[in-house]
Order: sequence, then C-alpha cells, then structure tokens
Amino acid sequence: MIDERDDDCGCTEYRELSRRQFLGTAAGGSMAAVAAAYFPAWLPKVVLAESYTSTRDVILSVFMRGGADGLSLCVPFGDPSYYTGRPTIAIPRPDAAGALTTKGIALDNFFAFPQAMAGLMPAYVATDLLVVHATGQFNSSRSHFDAQRYMEIGKPNDASLVTGWLGRHLASMPPVRSTAPLRALGLSSGLQKTLVGAPKTLPIANPAGFSIGGSAATAAARMAFLQTDYGGATEPIHSAALDATNTVSLLATIGFSTYRPANGAVYPNTSFGNALKSVAAIIKADVGIEAAQVDIGGWDTHSAEDPIAGSMYRTMQDFSNSLAAFYADVIATAPTTGVTAVAFSEFGRNARENGSNGTDHGRGTALFAIGKNIAGGRVMVNNWPGLAKPNLDSGQDLVVTIDYRDILAEIVQNRLGNANLGVVFPSWTPTMRGVTR
Amino acid sequence: MIGLGAAALLTALGPRRAATQTPRHPRPAPLPLTPNIPNETPVAPREWATDTSRLLRRVTYGLTDADVQAAKKYGFRGFVERQLDYTQLDDSAADAFVGSKYPLLSQNITQLFAASATTVQLQLQQATLYRAAFSTRQLYERMVEFWTNHFNISIIKVGYLKAVDDRDVIRQYAMTTFRDLLYASAKSGAMMAYLDQNQSRSGAPNQNYAREIMELHTLGVNGGYTQNDVAELSRVLTGWTIAGRGDFAFNPAIHDWGAKTVLGVTIPAGSPSMGAAGIKEGEMMLDVLLAHPSTATFIATKMLHWFLSYDPLPAQIAAVASTYTATGGDIKAMIRTSLDSAWLTAAPMKLKRPFHFIASSLRTASPAVTNVVTINSQLTNVGQPLFHWDTPDGYPDKVEYWAGNVLPRWSYASYFTSLGSGEVVIDAASFMKGNTADSTIANIDLRLFGSEIDPTLKASLAAYLKAGALNVARVRETLALALSANSFQWY
Repeated sequence: MIDERDDDCGCTEYRELSRRQFLGTAAGGSMAAVAAAYFPAWLPKVVLAESYTSTRDVILSVFMRGGADGLSLCVPFGDPSYYTGRPTIAIPRPDAAGALTTKGIALDNFFAFPQAMAGLMPAYVATDLLVVHATGQFNSSRSHFDAQRYMEIGKPNDASLVTGWLGRHLASMPPVRSTAPLRALGLSSGLQKTLVGAPKTLPIANPAGFSIGGSAATAAARMAFLQTDYGGATEPIHSAALDATNTVSLLATIGFSTYRPANGAVYPNTSFGNALKSVAAIIKADVGIEAAQVDIGGWDTHSAEDPIAGSMYRTMQDFSNSLAAFYADVIATAPTTGVTAVAFSEFGRNARENGSNGTDHGRGTALFAIGKNIAGGRVMVNNWPGLAKPNLDSGQDLVVTIDYRDILAEIVQNRLGNANLGVVFPSWTPTMRGVTR
Repeated sequence: MIGLGAAALLTALGPRRAATQTPRHPRPAPLPLTPNIPNETPVAPREWATDTSRLLRRVTYGLTDADVQAAKKYGFRGFVERQLDYTQLDDSAADAFVGSKYPLLSQNITQLFAASATTVQLQLQQATLYRAAFSTRQLYERMVEFWTNHFNISIIKVGYLKAVDDRDVIRQYAMTTFRDLLYASAKSGAMMAYLDQNQSRSGAPNQNYAREIMELHTLGVNGGYTQNDVAELSRVLTGWTIAGRGDFAFNPAIHDWGAKTVLGVTIPAGSPSMGAAGIKEGEMMLDVLLAHPSTATFIATKMLHWFLSYDPLPAQIAAVASTYTATGGDIKAMIRTSLDSAWLTAAPMKLKRPFHFIASSLRTASPAVTNVVTINSQLTNVGQPLFHWDTPDGYPDKVEYWAGNVLPRWSYASYFTSLGSGEVVIDAASFMKGNTADSTIANIDLRLFGSEIDPTLKASLAAYLKAGALNVARVRETLALALSANSFQWY
C-alpha cells in the first residue's frame, strides 16, 4: 500500500505549487507575500523533478524536546571519564557486578543501552536501528529555544528563515499521491517549526477527534460555509482551513478506536505512545501521508535525573517502548516497511553531573534512525571525542563531531527521494556517512 | 561588596520599593457586564473601525457593545486611563464570583499544600478564564496573561505553588513596575521550584534559573551575556531556594561566598559570617539586569508584540524602551507609550490564541454562567490548557504556530453555542430579538463583532440562517459559524 505510488500524478499541482511558493508569481497577492516570507530569495531554485523514485519512504520525525542526555540514552561505558564525571547517575557497565536490572545492555564493546532502552534492542539486533553519537549542532546555543529553532529550520543562526527542514522537503517534492488531502501532520496543537512551509499539512493533536461537531445533518453545510468564509483569509490560515475541511472526511474513515497494531505491538498509553499509534493508523490507512512530526518532552533533567529508576528512566522507557511498538507494528511489517523514523534533540547535557544529581545544558548527544533501509545495528561515531576534561567542549561537554544535518540529508536524499538538499538544508554541504543501505 | 559599576546602576534605579498592595476602592460600575440589547434592529456604526476600536480589540478579550459605548463616552485616552487605573473599576461581581466558586485561591501556602492538587489547578484555571471573560478590568487581565507568559511556570511541575505565584507575583505586580515584578518572581517559591533553583548550592550550582532569568526574563537571548555569565550568575544565586511548604528563602549555608564576575560586574569574595546579607549579591545582580539596556529593549519588544504587532518597528521599540529607562520600568507608562493611536491604526490584526478565542466567545456571546468547569476543559481541545506549557518560554504568540488549529475552534464553537442548560446557558432567543433573520444577524453583529462585522460574512451568515426555519437550533448554528468565522479569530 505504501509503495503504491502514483508516478505521474501530482506533477501539475506540484508545478503550480512550485510557481507559487518558490517563484512568487501567484495570482493571489497574499500567497505571494507568504511565499516571499517563507522562502527567501537566497534559497536555491528548486529542481523540478519530472519523475521521481518509487521508493520514497514515509518519514516519522521525533523531536526530543528539552536537551536529551545522550550519555544516558547510549552509554559510553568504555570511556572511564563517563564514570568519574557521574558518580551518582552513571549506568553500570554491562559486565559490572550487581543486579541485571541496573546494568547497561551492550551494543558493542564501548556503548550500551540503559535498561530503559531495552525495548529498542530488537530493532538494533535486526540492524534496523542506527545510533549516531556525539552528534548535534555545531556552534549551537545552549538556549533550548534557540537550539530547537535552528535545528528545526535546518540552518543555524538564521532568524530570517521560518520554514522547517521537513516543510521545505515537502514543498520541494510533488505529492506521493496527488489527491491526498493531507501530506503531513504534526501531532500537536500548534504546527511545529519543523513542518512550517509544508503544503497540505496540519497540526492535529488528536486525529481520532478531528470533527466539526454539532448536528450531523448540517455538518456538510457548515463545513462548506467555513470553506467559503476562509477563502478570503490570509495565509497560512487560508490553506489550513481548506486542508482542515478536506481532512475531516479523510480521518473520519480511519478507525482509530478499533485500530489493532500488527505483530503483537503494544503502544504505551502515554501521549507519545498514543501519538505514534495514531500515526501508524494513518500510515496503514494508505491515504497518501508522507510525514509526521511527533514531540516527546521530559528531557530537561537538571535535577534528580536517575536514569536507572527515576525520571530519566521513565522518559527513556516511554521513548523506547513507543518507538519499539511503532517499529514492530509498522516498519518491520509488510507492506509498510517503507517508513523511516528519526529522533533527536536540540543538545545534550554536561558530561559531568551537577549538584542536584542532574545535568545542565550541554552539546553533543545521540540521534536515532530506524528503518529497513537504515544501515543500523551499530553506533556511528566520528572518532569518539572522549569525556576526559581536556577533550570536552568548553571543558564540560561532549564535542559535536557529526552535524545532525549529515544524517538527515542522507535520509532525505536516499529514502525520501529528494535531490534538492540545498533547499532542505541551505548553506550546508552534507557529508554522506553511510546512514542508509 | 558591590563593584563600582553596579553601585552606579543601583543608584540609578533608586531604592527598591516595599511590596505593598494598592488598596481597592470599589466604585459604581461604569461598564455593565451584559451588553444592553436594543429591541429595534441596530444599525452598524461603521465609524468604530477606528483607532478606538483597534484599541478595544487589543486591550480586551473581545469587543462588546458595552466596550464600544464606554470608549465612545471616555474617548481613546480616557478609556486607556480608566483601564490603567484598574483598581478604580468596580469588579465586585467578578470578585464575588471567584471568591465563592474558587475559595482555594485565597488560601495560604500551607492550606494550599493540604488541598487536592487537582482542585487547586482547576480553580486557578477556571478563575483565570472567568476573569478574562467577565472582569471589568480587561487591560489588567490582558497584562496578567502577558506576564504569566513572560514568567511562565508549569503547574504540572510545581502544583499548588503556581496558584501562589499567580496571586502574589503576577496579579500583585502586573501593573506596577518591572522591577517589583522581577523581584517578586525571583523570590517566588514556584519559580525557584520550576527552574530548579532550589536544587542549586555552593560547589554544585544549577544553571537553569540563572540562564532563564537572563534569556527569558530580562536581557533576551541575544542580550549580551555569555555561558560564563550564566555559570557565574548561578553561583551568585546559590542559596536562593525554598523552605517549608514552598516559601522563598535565602539559605546562607549553601551560598557560594567566593568572588564572581557577571556581565563585567565583580562581586568580591564574602564570608559565611555575613549570613542573610548574602542575598544582596543576587539582588544586586537583579538590579544590574534591570538597568541593562538589553532588558529595556527586550521588555519593550515583547510588550509591543503583545499589544501592537508581531513585528514592532525599531522606532516603536526604542520609544517604549526609552519609557522603561526613564520611569524605572513603570509598566503603566510603558503601556501608555505602546498604545499609541497612530501605531494602533496602522497595526495589522493579531491572531487570537486559543485561550483568547474562548474568552472572547464567553465575553461576547455573554451566556448566563454559574461556573466554567466544562468551558475550561475545552481549553485542552483547542490546544491551550492554562499553566500547562512546560518550557519557560510560555505559549507561543505566533501565527505560524496556531494557524493550523482552526478545526478545534470550529468544534468548540459548535459545542459552546449548543449549551442550552447547565452551568453555561446561551440564550439563543436573546439573539432573535426582532424576530426576523435580519434582526438576528444584526444582534450577532452588535454582540459578537462590536457592530463591525465584515459585510461579506454578514451576508453569508444571513444566507445560512435564512436557508432554514428561524428557530433556536438554526440560530445556535449561525452563532457557531459566526464564532468560527475567520474574522472572529483576529483582534
């Protein structure tokens, strides 16, 4: 179903979209103004593909908001400085004495998952999960909000750019299915920056409850009224209203409440778990969805971090068990194997714990990519920079050795079939690191 | 122990005022809560598409005919001054409602600690929604929301302490000076707990609050501080913590007495024998932050963003920043400068956030209300449950963020206008005065749009209403469409 692509449909609309959004010659002045604001003149002109690969994956993008501690998510037990810097919150080595429930699970002879991440071991063993370490943003801010913004727009320190990397990816590609009313969604009440600029894209916090309400007898007439009323609205409200009216009937056909995950997968009953379950239901309904953005918070572990049994443990467990369910339900199960998931955070935490048994804002952290065409089953590093004090950024943080855009760019090019990397990640020449098979 | 530069800054700001509450002297109500509904078909007074109607849109949670009449009576400046002098506006009806329905909010910290956390949260949310919709002190309520956003604290993390912060920090100082407000926030147990300041101690400082007080509360992210300033300020603030059930306290035993330098200001080493006086180091740094030009610019920009436009002009920012500097951060003076007639007339519309939208629906449709339990629960569906934003930047005030969330608003409007019994009752018949479709539309215009309805919308609402029999059900649906319409989403 997912690979049932419609090769020559969508191009007409796509060219129309391209003219409007990239060349700014739309008939409607407001749209042109929005296009100008969204797509500054310096952005390279998009290369219009006449045909495109039939192997475009659907992408699930997960933002771990708050600065996730990569040293707990993927423990460098082979680096002795990890233990000296974290006397109370380190995960014991896999070969340490003591209870199994506290020790790391070896990924190789240097890195380990904490027990909280055990749910992702099947994906790792199946070589479908790639962990990238000491990654993140070069020269990033330690402000959550700046660091998230620049990560989401995909270009550091540019306050003029408001579109997100995934938004520009979708805007620079024809739809997989020309008739799809919804190409992407953010599981959120407001659209995440990552998706800003994407055509036919909405924030939908609860896809199962996406309805206008009121009397069924008049629902169609009221929707038609609002479609007309918002016809004169400025962008991006105009498109959002149009997409909403079209999406109501789409989502009404998907049986969220009766959805049964495949492969025995069990999604945790958490907001993250339920969000991934909704995404799975939409993907399996085969309605032309191309991307979903889901957020998970709880990573700002300034105090009482406790990755063995406390708050960080619970956050990691929710993260890994939800993604593991999505992996088993969707990625590992035909015919929806053409789905790639990525998960990352704005920055990591200090290498050393603070006085509150927590960690303050840092730099390098871990990134996760999952897919049947992800070259996984390993922890990718670009020469582990080490946690000994002289090797730390500003004397306190894991150095960023791989720009996160290298990882995303390879996925965008090889799995999402988009050659316009200059549009998706402006001013960045990615290094292809063998992320995809 | 105060460096020369800081001493000069301290003098410039003057001594800290004692935190006293302005006494409230209720006077006869100038602004009736319920708009007067004329029996005859009202004629839309188009002259209100003026600076004054712009003003009303920006300083209220919804332009009602009562607001229009008040502004007509007092004029642009007169209306602003009356709203600024908010303690003189009789708000006894809202006070009585809140006092009787939400009694926990007047309890002390120990009583709140003992109360059900869920009940405290619901009472705080409901009282906030009720006041936004029905308080006569609309500008004050808009400022309460502004500062709630600016000094965001998630009730999920701090529980009942947010209720204390709301009452003793945000509401107490919302219209005083930024100096009083910042000091109160910095000595709020809720803020200490929210940003982990209570976890910080000598030798093991926690940087969370030290960073955010500069990034989000005063200087702004590009305000000229470095990571080293964050680290040093976190040392200065060691000892600022909570005690008992969440009262602010300075604990000299965990204060770092070593020398520190923040933003070029050096604090010489002290000693534990100085005891409680160690708090002065942090207070001095608050004064340094308050006197910093970046703070003037940052607060000015944010206030203009709130009242005027998403992208205030440099000259506007400079004018409000200059007021900040000249008045020692007098909030009313900054509001006066921001609410400039010419600026407002030229300013583009802003998108109501979901809370604003729901408050507007209550304020303008003016239902009979005995409680707002269910309406408050609707805030989750539209995406803005109060005090739930978990990060310290507060709910976004950006079109890009909220633009996509139109359908939940439509769904809410259907729900809200269907309420014919219970704690919120929309009197559909009151909209039907005149007993014709046209008079009904005119009533909707008067009550929901301050008689400024867009002619196209007016025509299409009339067409919808006339497509069926004129009855309560059809009127409710028409009301829902009016509240759902694009133009109702803007202010």
